[in-house]
Parts: sequence; structure tokens; C-alpha cells
Amino acid sequence: MSYQAKGLQAWLYQRLTGAFMALYIVYFIWVISFSESMTYTLWLEWFSHPLMNTATGLFIIHLAVHAWVGMRDIVLDYVSNDSLRLLTLACISFFLIIISLGMLRIFFSLALTIQA
Amino acid sequence: MQDSQQTAASESKAYIKNRRPKNLNLLSVKFPMSAILSVGHRASGILLFLSLPYFLYLLQLSLTNEAGFLLAKAEFQGPLVKLFCLLIIWGLAHHFFSGIRYFLLDFDIGIDKNSAKKSAVLVMLCGFLVFIFFSIRLL
Repeated sequence: MSYQAKGLQAWLYQRLTGAFMALYIVYFIWVISFSESMTYTLWLEWFSHPLMNTATGLFIIHLAVHAWVGMRDIVLDYVSNDSLRLLTLACISFFLIIISLGMLRIFFSLALTIQA
Repeated sequence: MQDSQQTAASESKAYIKNRRPKNLNLLSVKFPMSAILSVGHRASGILLFLSLPYFLYLLQLSLTNEAGFLLAKAEFQGPLVKLFCLLIIWGLAHHFFSGIRYFLLDFDIGIDKNSAKKSAVLVMLCGFLVFIFFSIRLL
């Protein structure tokens, strides 16, 4: 069973998504820590900016891939019972899909409301 | 010829399987810094994974309307939430710095035993420094 990403491919995904997220997080924390009194308008404006909106959308997808590869590796290492392994992996993928769809929904609707 | 090779291979496989230590006492093994770092990388990864729904909820709350934004902001004032956030901040910092270390190791930078040991200590230290910095800021 390859669980959709094997060997070198998974390794590469993990590095690329990690690198992107590292940059995003540094930028995010940089902005947060230099805006002492964040207001709702500023917060909304920031996330609705096309670049930030796209970057955040990408971040969500990268996060899902990164978390999937990482959690899958952990489960493959420690859960040796086949059916239990399948169940945990199914739960993790379900959890990640729900989380990322929920997040993407927030950001898409944000982009739409600004346009209107 | 091939048959005998196969049986030999399966025999040695069975031998390895039988000789695997069971109930290995983890306290009997001395862990180098890089091993502790690696466990921390995994543990913090799981921690961040599990904390996702909470931060998703806060993000959604903060973006719905002004009242929601203020509610999300007020959420961070609670002492329990602050402690939880500090744990997450440590996890994120540790995962971040050790991730960079793994990235460099992949490019054979600092791959020899001595510098790998030093970088492991440095990563641990950076994680704790970030933790202390935010502890002072938040508490």
C-alpha cells in the first residue's frame, strides 16, 4: 500500500510544502508582531488582499499535504495492526479534508464578499 | 539454487523476527540529542495537527464580523488559553527550527556527527528561547 505518496515523492512533498509554510509563517508572525493594535478592518483587509488571499489558500493546501505525509509516517511506524492502521489513516485523512475544506471556504467567501 | 537462496532468506527473516526485543525498556537506552530532537519534531507535529480545529474556529470567528473579531481577541486573554498557546508556540518553534535543520542535513550541510550534535543543541535552545520570549510577552 502506498497511500498516495511513496518514497522520494513523499520526501519531496514534505520538503517543498515545509519550505513554503516556513516562509509564510515568518511573514505572518512578522506582520502580527509589528501591528500592536490589530483592528477588524485591518485584519479583513490584510486577508482579502489578492496576494495574501492566494498565499493563504496555498498555505492551507500545503498544510494538508505536509500533515498527511507526516501523520502517515508516524502511523506506519507505530501502528502495526493492519485494520487499525487503515482506520487511523482514514480518520486522519477525513479530519484533514474537513479542516482544509472549511478553511478554504472561509477564504473563498472572503474573496467573494470583497469583490461584491 | 534459487530455491535454496529463497529458503535461506526466509529463514533469516524469521530469525530476525524472533530475535526482536520485546518490551524494550526505553530507559536502558541512552538517547543522543538528535534523537530527542527527532522525537520532539514528531511530538510537536502531532500537537500542531491536533490543535488545527481550535485555530480554524478562531480564524473563522475573527473573520465573520467585528463582534466575532473582538471575541476571538478576548479568547486569548484567558489564562488556560494562554498556557495552551505557549505550548503551541513552543511546538511550532521546535518544528520550524528542526525542520530547517533537516532541510540543511538533506543538502549535506552539517552532516558530520559533531556538527549535527551541535546543531541539535542549537535547535533545542532556539525553541526554548522562543518559548521564553513569548512567555514574557503573553504572561
